[in-house]
Amino acid sequence: MHVDATTAPDFELPSVDGEPLSLAQLLPQVPGDTLLLLFVHAECPTARLTLRRLGPLGPELAAAGTRLVVIAEESVAAAARLTRTLGVDATVLAQEAPWAISKAYDVESVPTAVVVDASGSIAGRTEGWDVESLTDLLPVELPNDEPRWKPGCGARASYTVGGESDSLGASGDVTEAHEDMFERGWTDGLPVVPPTAENVERMLGERNPADSLGPVPPGMGEATLERVASCAVLAGCRPEYFPVVLAAVRCVLDPAFNVHGQAVTTSPPGQIVIVNGPIRDELGLNSGMGALASGARANLTIGRAVRLVVHLTGGASPSSLDRAALGHPGKLSFCIAENEEASPWEPLHVERGFQPLESTVTVMAGDAPSSVSDHRSISPADLAATIGWGAAGGWSPFMWPMDANSLFVISPEHARTLASEGWSKRDVREAIYAEVRRPARDLNRGETTPVVEQADPDELIAKWPTVDRIHVIVAGGEAGRFSAVIGPSMSMDASMLTRRIEE
Amino acid sequence: MDYVSPFDEQSREAEPLAPRASSLDGARIALLDISKRRGEEFLDHLEARLRSAGAQVRRYRKPTFARPAPHDLIEEIARDANLVVEALAD
Repeated sequence: MHVDATTAPDFELPSVDGEPLSLAQLLPQVPGDTLLLLFVHAECPTARLTLRRLGPLGPELAAAGTRLVVIAEESVAAAARLTRTLGVDATVLAQEAPWAISKAYDVESVPTAVVVDASGSIAGRTEGWDVESLTDLLPVELPNDEPRWKPGCGARASYTVGGESDSLGASGDVTEAHEDMFERGWTDGLPVVPPTAENVERMLGERNPADSLGPVPPGMGEATLERVASCAVLAGCRPEYFPVVLAAVRCVLDPAFNVHGQAVTTSPPGQIVIVNGPIRDELGLNSGMGALASGARANLTIGRAVRLVVHLTGGASPSSLDRAALGHPGKLSFCIAENEEASPWEPLHVERGFQPLESTVTVMAGDAPSSVSDHRSISPADLAATIGWGAAGGWSPFMWPMDANSLFVISPEHARTLASEGWSKRDVREAIYAEVRRPARDLNRGETTPVVEQADPDELIAKWPTVDRIHVIVAGGEAGRFSAVIGPSMSMDASMLTRRIEE
Repeated sequence: MDYVSPFDEQSREAEPLAPRASSLDGARIALLDISKRRGEEFLDHLEARLRSAGAQVRRYRKPTFARPAPHDLIEEIARDANLVVEALAD
């Protein structure tokens, strides 16, 4: 802190309450009282920390003779949002480019606190969040929480050459729109595309916005096509993805899928979407290298749109109606396209009664994928054993039989080995079912089942009650002997459902 | 900016909580077993304590914890009881 007996430069700035205020209007009337000008902007974590700690003390400061005035290097709307969300109870002024007032006060970093006395002289100054310096300047006790010191960030005034800001102004608008989405809660925690009327209309095409797919559990928000389209826009979908989203949402809302249970359970499941048929290529869905990973817009945004319908329209937001203790990253988005071209077997939708050239979505409730590596097995039986045992710890290592779906995602290299002796997909499923068994004595601990508790200790117990709980698809890149198992979602009474994409 | 909300604002209005009971004396209490393992053990203990405090107790059971209680069951409880305890179990 240094004290300078210089005159505080005058200014007039719009306040977030609508009225412009000048320094002259803000100066204290009583000798001994002071004005605390606090320069901030929204992108600086230290400024936000300072606002959060100091902002709510506005009335206490005023009672002790110091008026807190926040000067935000933001538009009026952004300044209002910043201070409202941080609980600031004080006068808030907005200062836009070229930030002449910051410059007049030599503000190079934020936060900067400047104390002005009743005569209009600068009586003190400090930068960053510095409890010791601020305590010297202020007539109140500050919260004693850590951190007690944190350096600030560059002021906007300090990084705009010559005060020209056209490009920054434009990006500021975009930032503001994104922040607005967060403030409205229209997000899963990642930035979204704002669902402007124009964007939503484009997503809807000729469809009737008021048509409904039904109420979305658990909050029972009505899934009008307009709201589903809003979720698809928020997720980043292109309009041509919308038929896939609609078909998936129809499956999710089918009572047999019981999304209600999945949405509110303390267990982890998300809603997993599997796409089959020619639409995979038409939309650029990735079924090859990194099929379960990041990188492909169609996969990620379709899966995300479905989740946003549950999260936003259905009201299943974490810590609200979604009571998952942990959840899993696939609850952001989980859409798999089957690599039918690399599969030696019929694809999932054909197994489930559809024609090869029909495009379908299949939904299942599922936990995060678990990878299974096997670079050695050369017979289908050995490899099926490895892959099957990869699922043995599903739900709990002792939960046998586990009455839930397991989806094995087989990589092309593994698929070739599994099919090498003429094994059908059914043979693979049967082999996994027959292989993964343990004597009851090894399973009778922790969270086990009545089947285990009542069995003879030597009795072999299968991991799944029937082979029908074992599902197989092929996905992934040509090279790499890694497969994965997805699941399970226990006790959710959630059928796997398939539907033709047609709207 | 003209946005299309993903929310159904109508469904988001929170129902206010019913007034809290000030006494258990003579209260008609529904104990709802949601069908999770060992939930009934918890409710057995609760029932004994509530009865000794002067409450009337009736037990109900959801067919499955994975789904909301059937409408008829909710109606029945609303008709018979003025207080409800739901056993989450686990």
